[in-house]
Amino acid sequence: MTSLTPTWRRLVAVAVTVLAAAACGSSSGGGSSAAKTNGPITLTMWYWGQQEAHGLSTFLADSVKKYEALHPNITIKTVLQSTDNLMPNFAAAAKAKKGPDIEYRWGGIWTLQDAWDGNLAPISDYIPASERSHYLNASEDTWDGKVWSAPWYVQPSFPILYRKDVLARAGISSPPKTWDDFLSDCSTLRSKGITPIAGGVKDGWFGGWLFSILGSESLTSVDELKQAVAGSKKFTDPDLAQWWTRLGQMISSKCWNDDIGSLDLYQAQQTWVDGKSAMTVTAGTDVRKFVSQVGGSKVGVMTMPTYADGIGAGKLGSTSQTLAISSWSPYKQQAADFIMFMHTPAELSRFYKDTGALPADDRFDASEIDVPQVKQLYDYSQNGAPYLENFIPTDLDSKANFGGVQLMFAGKATAQQAAQTMESDMERIRTIQPDLIDDFKKWTGQQ
Amino acid sequence: MDGTAVAATGERHTGAAPRGRPRRRRPWQALIWLAPALASIGLVYGYSIYRLVMEATHREGVGVGLGNLRIAIDDPFFRTALGNNLRLLLTLPVIIAVALVIAILLHEGMRGWRFHRVAIFIPYMLPVTVVGVLFGELLTLHGAVNSTLQTLHLAYFSEDWLGDPDWALRSLAGVIIWRELGFGVILFLARLLSLPGNVFDAARVDGAGWFRTQWHVTLPMMRSIIGFYLVIEAITLMSWVFSYVFVMTGGGPGQATQVTETYIYQNAFTSDIPWLAAAAATLLLIGVTAIAVLFLILRWAYGRRRAA
Repeated sequence: MTSLTPTWRRLVAVAVTVLAAAACGSSSGGGSSAAKTNGPITLTMWYWGQQEAHGLSTFLADSVKKYEALHPNITIKTVLQSTDNLMPNFAAAAKAKKGPDIEYRWGGIWTLQDAWDGNLAPISDYIPASERSHYLNASEDTWDGKVWSAPWYVQPSFPILYRKDVLARAGISSPPKTWDDFLSDCSTLRSKGITPIAGGVKDGWFGGWLFSILGSESLTSVDELKQAVAGSKKFTDPDLAQWWTRLGQMISSKCWNDDIGSLDLYQAQQTWVDGKSAMTVTAGTDVRKFVSQVGGSKVGVMTMPTYADGIGAGKLGSTSQTLAISSWSPYKQQAADFIMFMHTPAELSRFYKDTGALPADDRFDASEIDVPQVKQLYDYSQNGAPYLENFIPTDLDSKANFGGVQLMFAGKATAQQAAQTMESDMERIRTIQPDLIDDFKKWTGQQ
Repeated sequence: MDGTAVAATGERHTGAAPRGRPRRRRPWQALIWLAPALASIGLVYGYSIYRLVMEATHREGVGVGLGNLRIAIDDPFFRTALGNNLRLLLTLPVIIAVALVIAILLHEGMRGWRFHRVAIFIPYMLPVTVVGVLFGELLTLHGAVNSTLQTLHLAYFSEDWLGDPDWALRSLAGVIIWRELGFGVILFLARLLSLPGNVFDAARVDGAGWFRTQWHVTLPMMRSIIGFYLVIEAITLMSWVFSYVFVMTGGGPGQATQVTETYIYQNAFTSDIPWLAAAAATLLLIGVTAIAVLFLILRWAYGRRRAA
């Protein structure tokens, strides 16, 4: 064998080095944690929640700073999403397989539809069971034996805030607990020129809330809802349709503000802060903000007055807002590590201090809750009900609930028509999205 | 070609062709010069349209022919959205007539015309999102519009402009007219300024009054620009109103202001049915192309008639 000249030797050496470097590069692209830990890594996180848990952006910025200090090779970029763009932006990213490593998700089907589409990596592959066992409401995000998103903070869904001073102005000494009391209080408040309860449905989202809050009172089990989605029950069945009738009663009793159709919920809540309405519905995570705006002594927290004795009667829905890892992320383990970092005791404590929201982790020390109204929410969340919106296709929610509630408030649909529309909308989804229904059935054990 | 030129300017160009040695035509030379532009158009539009059609005719990677398009056509939500687009299209004569009248008044030197011209064009310069947010506030039940009506003792006319399904689309149309008007006025005004003044003088000498002058002199000479604006606005109302709807109503109440663009967007990005979005987009593309082609055919036929 002829020996190589020095020039050729150098060329071969360079070629071998380049090939070796390329090989290392391709292996690191596969997500090997060990290979990447030392190299520079940039994680992108798309999040939402500042809208409902004021201070979340501050918390996150500090968390990122601390984490980056502990891991100098990791940089985390956070991008706050708007409510209307949270889902669409991720859908666009999923199409391009390029976008965030960590993505904020609402619970249940809001997470799992992306899991079924292959857009998420199961967090249970990266976060050990011993850690996950502390996360609250993870069962909503479990499918096919895996957990697809990590609970971040609890969303008690959804409390009614009442103004003690405004109720007192109308001669009402205690908030209504039963349906009849509620309708009676609506009349009393109206007669005094006070709006009983403030809401806004222009952007639609509040329709989904009302469905979950009112609808859960008449269900004996969330399975009834799941069966209606699958087609073995109907949304016109009495248990599933009754909430529309109750909503109709609220409307005819003039319980709501007359401009509910032209306002978003956040705009309407301001009238409650201003003392023009006696009650409003809010995200549980937002309660501390409202208490501080209005004054602790004036604010009370309650559940929707009861008209039945179903799973949600006298309770709040229990769900967690979550963080998922995208399936295309090359840094899944690092993303999971950052999520776990935010579940360390110091971060849990700081999360509550910064946001007033409850971390979705049983290691959070509840004695730190310094606002009685939030403590009340904590107690509710210990015995919460399933949050219905998380168990119907998102398309059904946006069309039947958002649209149906808007039309009822506008006086253009009756309760019966709204229920019938919901059933026909579901039938449409079954026809044009059979794969979604198949996945849904597998998730809910109906197949 | 001649006919088109006549229709576009209202004048016949009879100047003699430049003399000199005739230049040999080499079509391939023109193609070379056009190639970069054609390639970029082909890449940007051609490929996008190809991908769109592929997505519209496939589901889960399996070809379904026109099946997806049929589902879109049969979908009551798509029909509602398309119907709303067509209702918006009804505003077209209003936009054109109002823009034309304003342009003529400004052209005739109405008092403070410079101020009016700027005031009318400003809405068109504002981003649609700003306009949407602004009118979203103004048109609430207790917003500035209804408050003003109450102050003027006209409370009878106040409505829940965006919250009432019977009014939401009309309100939206009003906002679109308000904003789109500026473009039309400037376009028409530019054309009016380029018209030969002696034609108007001749009309006046012949004893034509204001209305007759506009009808028999101004309008015929404006025909091509009106046609152009008509097509632009028709396409806008069919496929360019997404931002208005998204910001002001989100398609509600119910489906009252849903348009094909929001239907496409929702199916693609929130309902997770991309093939249905692609099918609807293909139908929309066909519709809008048909409008443009129809306009070109009419223009061509008119040009031929004039030439004859």
